Amino acid sequence: MGKLQKLAMSDEGFIFDPETGSSFTVNQTGLFILKLLKEGKSQEEVVEALTEEFDVSREEAARDLIDFLEQLRLNGLLREEKSV
Amino acid sequence: MYKVAVSGINAVDNPGPGVGIAKSLKEGDKELRVFGLAYDAMEPGIYMDWLIDRSFIMPYPSEGEELFLNRLLYIKEKYGLDAVIPALDAELPLFIKGAQYLKNLGIKTFLPTQEQFNLRAKDKLPEVAERIGVKVPRTVVVTSYEELSKAVSELGFPVMIKGIFYKAYKVQNMAQATAYFNSIVSEWGYPIIVQEVVSGEEMNVVGVGDGEGGHFGLVGIKKLWITSLGKIWTGVTVKNEKLLEAVEGFVSVYSWRGAFEFECIATDSDVYLIEINPRFPAWVYFSTGVGVNLPYRLLQAALGVEPERSWDYEAGKLYVRYTDDLVTDMGRFQKIVTSGEV
Repeated sequence: MGKLQKLAMSDEGFIFDPETGSSFTVNQTGLFILKLLKEGKSQEEVVEALTEEFDVSREEAARDLIDFLEQLRLNGLLREEKSV
Repeated sequence: MYKVAVSGINAVDNPGPGVGIAKSLKEGDKELRVFGLAYDAMEPGIYMDWLIDRSFIMPYPSEGEELFLNRLLYIKEKYGLDAVIPALDAELPLFIKGAQYLKNLGIKTFLPTQEQFNLRAKDKLPEVAERIGVKVPRTVVVTSYEELSKAVSELGFPVMIKGIFYKAYKVQNMAQATAYFNSIVSEWGYPIIVQEVVSGEEMNVVGVGDGEGGHFGLVGIKKLWITSLGKIWTGVTVKNEKLLEAVEGFVSVYSWRGAFEFECIATDSDVYLIEINPRFPAWVYFSTGVGVNLPYRLLQAALGVEPERSWDYEAGKLYVRYTDDLVTDMGRFQKIVTSGEV
């Protein structure tokens, strides 16, 4: 099972990593992305979903997603070797 | 009704495990009487009569085996005593050595063997780690100032300066290294352990080995908040497969018997072994709180009753320690001071 699949996420945006005991909070957009990634959606599909859900251009959504993924990586929530 | 003695009832800022053990025993499915073994009339457990039914002042283990065992024999003869769960490092060699004698008297224990106990020495850890397939931070054992200088120049700052059994300090420069080296030597003697600092999550596992390679449950935690003495104040349960597998490996390779605490640092790819304590940690009630009552299971094993082995606890359970106070009569203090029991 991948790291993301193991994360516990509450609707309020509280994320708990049961492997490391670390917890994080994300805003509603972050939670929206994390839920899609947890479902196994590709980066493309997440960008698509972001443009549908929020008033945002494809470019802006793609850029923000890359930033967010980098944050996840820095916090050990995405394994380095795996690309999403 | 079983009568069980527990030591380490010093629920102070550097708490012993006794009160957590007593609390767990009281939550078992059989009613029992808990006796507290104390070394000082001020140990708070003596006054917590809802957990500890009767308390006794014990002679220090350093005063000799005979005196200590005779005190237990006195308790057995006067009040009845079925088992003892020692919880302090300094008592363990005496209990391990005296286990057969106590058993003959009808006082059961469930302890590691002397060989298993010896594994706790920090200079033995590289050997243990290798056998169970985990890492240890690079470590140099030193016995002089020259060796200390050489070790820190090899490892590079920051390093940990540790006593062989107690005390550990993270130091950033030679002045700090020398100060802590001297302080540990003056208190505990040589050798001193100089160790690389590994960055990762500090995690601990508490468990009870069955002595045949299996166990009666494991619970893994991460300390979230610690006191200035490094003691856990809040923590969270974790399920780190690599870590739990390593601990199961440890229990199996050494056929560990009795309680233990496995301290380590987990990184994304590795588990680094830091310390093994051959007893329950002071936070042992955390395991009971998440449904794995390890002290009660250990007691059952000591009494020859097969304990439950399920340990499917939930990750993300929070442990919160807090301070509390009570008011009681001077009489209780007076009694324990004058008669050694209350």
